[in-house]
Amino acid sequence: MERTVTIVPEAGLHARPASQFVQAANEHDAEVTIEKVGSDGGPVNAGSMLAVTSLGAAHSDEVRLVAEGDDAEAALDALEEVLSTPEAGDSEE
Amino acid sequence: MSERTLSGVGATPLSGVGSVVWYRPGEALELDDPPESDAVDPAAERERFEEARDTAREELETERERARERVGDEEAAVFDAHLQFLDDPQIGDAVGDQLDAGLPAEHAVRKGFAGPIEQFEGMEGRMTERADDLRDIRDRLVRLLVGGERTDLSALPEGSVVFAERLTPSDTAQLDPEVVSGFVTATGGRTSHAAIFARSLALPAVVGVGDDLFAVEEGTAVVVDGDTGDVILDPTEETRAAAADTDRAEVRPEPVATSDGEPIEVAANVGQPAELAGAVEQGADGIGLYRTEFLFLERESPPDEDEQYEAYVDALDAFPEGRVVVRTLDVGGDKPIPYLELPEEENPFLGERGVRRSLGVDAGLFETQLRALLRAAADGAGDLAVMVPMVATVEEFEEAREALDSVAADLESEGVAHETPEFGLMIETPSAAFMADEFAARTEFLSIGTNDLTQYVMAASRGNERVSELHDPRHPAVLRAIARTVEGAEGTDAWVGMCGEMAGDPDLTELLVGLGLDELSMSAVTIPDVKANVAETDGEAASALAERTLRASTKREVEQLITDTIENTKS
Repeated sequence: MERTVTIVPEAGLHARPASQFVQAANEHDAEVTIEKVGSDGGPVNAGSMLAVTSLGAAHSDEVRLVAEGDDAEAALDALEEVLSTPEAGDSEE
Repeated sequence: MSERTLSGVGATPLSGVGSVVWYRPGEALELDDPPESDAVDPAAERERFEEARDTAREELETERERARERVGDEEAAVFDAHLQFLDDPQIGDAVGDQLDAGLPAEHAVRKGFAGPIEQFEGMEGRMTERADDLRDIRDRLVRLLVGGERTDLSALPEGSVVFAERLTPSDTAQLDPEVVSGFVTATGGRTSHAAIFARSLALPAVVGVGDDLFAVEEGTAVVVDGDTGDVILDPTEETRAAAADTDRAEVRPEPVATSDGEPIEVAANVGQPAELAGAVEQGADGIGLYRTEFLFLERESPPDEDEQYEAYVDALDAFPEGRVVVRTLDVGGDKPIPYLELPEEENPFLGERGVRRSLGVDAGLFETQLRALLRAAADGAGDLAVMVPMVATVEEFEEAREALDSVAADLESEGVAHETPEFGLMIETPSAAFMADEFAARTEFLSIGTNDLTQYVMAASRGNERVSELHDPRHPAVLRAIARTVEGAEGTDAWVGMCGEMAGDPDLTELLVGLGLDELSMSAVTIPDVKANVAETDGEAASALAERTLRASTKREVEQLITDTIENTKS
């Protein structure tokens, strides 16, 4: 099962969003990988903070998520939500 | 010894006086060469590593809680990242390989972390900060393994100015602003973790001084000017006195007035409940902008009426004597929220956002928010005011007012306790500024949002560094838009406030008073300075300054006028 998602948070997959992403990945049993669309590097373990942050995925980049396991769909839903939710403070008045 | 100055990047608009205390966390961590591998028991070393990792986890969790209490969730989140790096499978494997090869645990940690640290160091921009995070975690583990003493940053003598190559989030979270007079680091920029912490803690700080810092000796007398970025060593009595003078302007919990008695309300901009206590501590008279987005973001469905009601009552209870201006939900194409199904827009800042959504697709959400607000107005201690964002036309505001009246009527017929708050709008579109007189006749207040107003008046995106020169509220065009708004309210009962970066710039206080603002709302940290400046402002001189700036043709002229006035006041 796979899904392509556009990254919304201004900071990209960085610090806080990355942390939430990894946490969400580890809360599920499914094995999930993440890959930056159009980059040379292959897919990496979505449950590894090191691997996820070193993708260097920025705001508006597309990433492909692949999940295998019982709760694959739930895992993808949760991860998509992290990637498509802006951080509080991304925009000011 | 004569006075010397080092320059860096100012992180807070505060200055502090004290003496240098060097923080060199790496020093205790020098390791001897590893012993021969056959002298090492890999199983025992693995156990030592696991124990160190458990302790590191506990330490990080404690520090996360401390950071959460002191500076809020957002800053504390960095510890979540550290915790995840600590348990990262890839790093665990890298260290494990070294343990298998027969290295003692502390050496295995050093070697296992080296690859990932190097990887991040080679990347661009903010990714290099992840290398700092990894070094922080590595040093923590090594310290635990070699039993190294940790410099206790939470127990420094009063008046310490901490000097360090860099301060990690865990370091800064230990600094007690009651005791420490400031800090200076060799590395870092305005948006580094250390700088953000400094602002949250209202601590004078200069970052990014460079290698010159290392020549400064322990105990040297120092003035840290977080505004100019100057670090003055061995300051003269004069310099020291001048800095002590500006050293954290006295917090004034009571309202202030100009020297000729014109009261000016000085309030805080607040983005989440954790910031309420800081606003009270810095002496805010109330809240001039309570952003409600935090209630709606990062969740799967909108908050219900009761949840919102509780949040608004909490804010009102924080300011029993003051006013709390709550902004209704301001979302649009730029801040999508999953359950709102926001459309992709070519130009989100000019698209369906703020009141445009509240009167359209999000009408139900708007009604719920208004119900919660009207109920909170009756039950919370302070006075509530509600303002709507992104208004461009009189019809929009009238329609929003009708929604408010209709909600009030519903609550009345249901017999639910409620109160109708002051109702106003943000002046952030040029059309609203031009029509300010029409709006003022129909509202209790206007609040100028200078960040967006500047963006729209100058047609310069606020996030785009290439046009940052244009995105500056000191341009005469923006000043005229502000003046026009104030004039529009003359002769009506409407008060005019300002929320946005401009209101919190202490250099501009006199000008803003002169332009006729009744209220200024800003990040809590600048409130004491702005209150002090209000008290020193003479109304007549301020009006004269405002008149001169309104006649200026360029931003440069405006800047010159402001600089001249500040220098005249000082001399």
